[in-house]
Amino acid sequence: MSDMIDLVESPEPDTNLRDEIRQISDRVRRRRQLRSKFMITLCALALSVTAVPLFLLLYQLFDRGLPVILHTGFFTQLPQTPNLITPNATGGVSNAIIGTLVLSLYASIMAIPIGVLVGVYLAESVSKLAASLRVISQTMAGAPSILMGLFAFSFVVRDLNIGFSALAGSFALAVLMLPVIVISTEIAVRGVPHTLREAGLALGAKPHKVSMKIVLPAALTGIVTGIILAISRAIGETAPVLLVIGGGYINSWKPLDPVSALPLSIYENAKSEWPSLRTEVWGIALVLVVFVFVLSLSARIWASRKQQAR
Amino acid sequence: MDQEFMAQVETKVATPSETLERGAAAMQLKNVAVSFHGRTAVRDCTFDVTKNRVTSLIGPSGSGKTTLLRALNRLHDLTPGAKVSGQILLEGTDIYRGDITVTELRTRVGMVFQRPNPFPTMSIYENAVSGLRFNGVKKKSILDEAAETSLKSAALWDSVQGRLKVAASNLSGGEQQRLCIARALAMDPEVLLMDEPTSALDPIATLKIEDLMTELKKRVTVVIVTHNMQQAARISDDCAFLLMGEDRAGELIEFDTTEKIFNNPIDPRTLDYTLGRFG
Amino acid sequence: MSIVIPPPPDFSSHEEEVPEFNPGASSRTWYQYLLILAALVFAAVSVGFVGTIIWNSAPEWAHHTGTLLGGNGWQSPAGPFGGLAMIVGTLETSVIALVIAVVIGLGASISIVFLIPRRFRNIVATFVELLAAVPSVVYGLWGFLVLAPWMLKTVIPWLDSWPFAKELFGSVGQQDGQSLLLASVVLGVMILPTFVAISREVIAVVPNDLIEASLSLGATRWQVIREVVLPTAKIGLFGATFLALARATGETVAVALIAGGVANVQFHLLYPGTSIAAWIATEFGEAQGNEVAALMALGVLLMLVNFGLSLISRWLVSRQRKVLAVV
Repeated sequence: MSDMIDLVESPEPDTNLRDEIRQISDRVRRRRQLRSKFMITLCALALSVTAVPLFLLLYQLFDRGLPVILHTGFFTQLPQTPNLITPNATGGVSNAIIGTLVLSLYASIMAIPIGVLVGVYLAESVSKLAASLRVISQTMAGAPSILMGLFAFSFVVRDLNIGFSALAGSFALAVLMLPVIVISTEIAVRGVPHTLREAGLALGAKPHKVSMKIVLPAALTGIVTGIILAISRAIGETAPVLLVIGGGYINSWKPLDPVSALPLSIYENAKSEWPSLRTEVWGIALVLVVFVFVLSLSARIWASRKQQAR
Repeated sequence: MDQEFMAQVETKVATPSETLERGAAAMQLKNVAVSFHGRTAVRDCTFDVTKNRVTSLIGPSGSGKTTLLRALNRLHDLTPGAKVSGQILLEGTDIYRGDITVTELRTRVGMVFQRPNPFPTMSIYENAVSGLRFNGVKKKSILDEAAETSLKSAALWDSVQGRLKVAASNLSGGEQQRLCIARALAMDPEVLLMDEPTSALDPIATLKIEDLMTELKKRVTVVIVTHNMQQAARISDDCAFLLMGEDRAGELIEFDTTEKIFNNPIDPRTLDYTLGRFG
Repeated sequence: MSIVIPPPPDFSSHEEEVPEFNPGASSRTWYQYLLILAALVFAAVSVGFVGTIIWNSAPEWAHHTGTLLGGNGWQSPAGPFGGLAMIVGTLETSVIALVIAVVIGLGASISIVFLIPRRFRNIVATFVELLAAVPSVVYGLWGFLVLAPWMLKTVIPWLDSWPFAKELFGSVGQQDGQSLLLASVVLGVMILPTFVAISREVIAVVPNDLIEASLSLGATRWQVIREVVLPTAKIGLFGATFLALARATGETVAVALIAGGVANVQFHLLYPGTSIAAWIATEFGEAQGNEVAALMALGVLLMLVNFGLSLISRWLVSRQRKVLAVV
């Protein structure tokens, strides 16, 4: 070994230095360990604190909401305004449930086709338009939802002169859903392995056939998950629909009619003077939360099961 | 296996004195086994790591070399489901059950990893003294002295002396790895564990680190995992050969001085491996 | 409350990618035209979205910029429409909410990454997602009907009972317990999942190498986190912070229900106030003529702040990726 080039001039180990370092570290070791335990405990505490609001909220929802939704006619009747003679009359929320379904249906019809196509475009194109649309979609996805309401009000209600209607509300929700669908579609399409595309191209298929017949089916799970999450987000939004749907008290599926929606009923009942309405509001909230949770949980479970199957 | 390799083995045999004297043990392993969630990864490891020598752990992939090495400074502690059984003694103290905290143990048994991993947010200087800082040393004079000593020991002082405040990511791969060695040396550990320290480096950087190791063993005991048999032959004094058993758990096949392992092993499988017949 | 996290701007894979088709190329099929058409529609919607709101606010900006940015008090229906109370209220509520969310969220993210065993991590992640999925009006309802009365009955009398509290802070307990502080706390709970979702990811991608290296130098677990993990993840954590702040500024109905809805510059946090978004929501239904334009102008302010914060956040998270790519 001695014939190797000796690059190293090793200094003599300095035993004084070593002792001094060991002494210091021995002295502070216990303090460091206590500090570590303390801080780690604080972190664990923070995690449990995060869980507290969810549990409190869910408890309140079920505790106060369950009796309400078991009440006859809650799902089937139209709302009644209480008055001095019948202060406990509340009726049901059929108009809000139908309104929420109508709004999300029309919003999906508007947002899904465009959103998925744009997502595919972003994933497959390298143009400047694609790059700027990517930034735009990410910025829009975080935009305050009240702004969608302002947009729908100015454009649909006033400029197009359509008035307060389900159409205006679903337009606002569609604008809200669009970027979410675009982003999740792009991620899903990008996640499709290149080998799959290349195999298709190698077999002589035209690029657009590969895109439609191979890439889209492979990315379907991710795309559908994104769509469900977008819908579940839209269903719970109050601010945009507050400004434009008009709060109709009838059951209507027509796009030009004013409608109500679950979040809107919650907002309005909560502020009501009537105790009976403020009791009923917990039932509506329970329905809405169950709605949203079922949607987002099923999206998540479906996505993870598909992932495992792969 | 090429001739150069055989020549290396030849030179090893030429120094018979090494077989005779064996100093005190820095670490002793007695029936050490490591399992994850009940599945044994490596077992039956009994050997002594002799002071001021380089001990290499060799064997094919999956033979549990790295797993064994990581047990020596309790890096498995944070792995869920990991269990280390048997005894590992550091200067006579059981490192798992004895009167020694894990943080103290790790200042006495340092580690260098496969890929150079200096802390990216710290400067060269801060990297070199990071161990001291973790252990509560704040005095600037001590830090400065330790930084200089350890960087010199890692043969890095001359090239970084003028740019100590520069981010460590500016160094080349080989320099980064030597910085990691310096970082581990700053605490003046008794044992330095090295997990394939040159596998991510080019041949020249590798050579420098190998030279460094032969120099280092004057002040620190080295245990090194290596895939490269020529490296094991070149730099190590003792050698442990591990092999994956029937149930896919690694086990110690043979432990001896390096020249014995490479020239005249007891177990035929050892010879097969060192001659490159498998693995 | 939204559950959408801006995805990693994955430029690296983008560059490697062989373009399957190029919209500029000559051989376009109907499918490619369809994609481009959709992209153009999306672009038009986005431009329309920004343009419409700005356009409709123009009359108010043209004549009353000073009042909008610096005036106190909102006189329906004729004006003047001062925006200072809303701006200050937005700042107060979102900054307090942010502090709550970052302090708790950082601890929670660290616990999720380092304390929770891998198999439970998914459950915890689902949990955090559910927290994010609860509609903001439900949080608002909770704050309005449960927390506010509780503040009024329990917390505020207790605060009042402190020596000199009345002399220093004045008598508290207004408007059924609604206050800027309560709104901020609920807002903090609402943006917590947003922060955790990103910070958790940013912390999780700190290379294990670095963690093991610091452990091997004798660092305690907290030192590993404090001196290696957090500094390495710093830029990304700032990104998460900015995104959470963006969310906080845009949150509407919860603040509308809990903050009390009083358009007056208010630094006493136990008093009612409002925020830009909340004020638009509560006033828009009754607004006529100039007031609509004034509310649109507030919307423009909100948009600028929100977009700015989102872009900063996006930039920071992409820089974090570059930092880690060097490691």
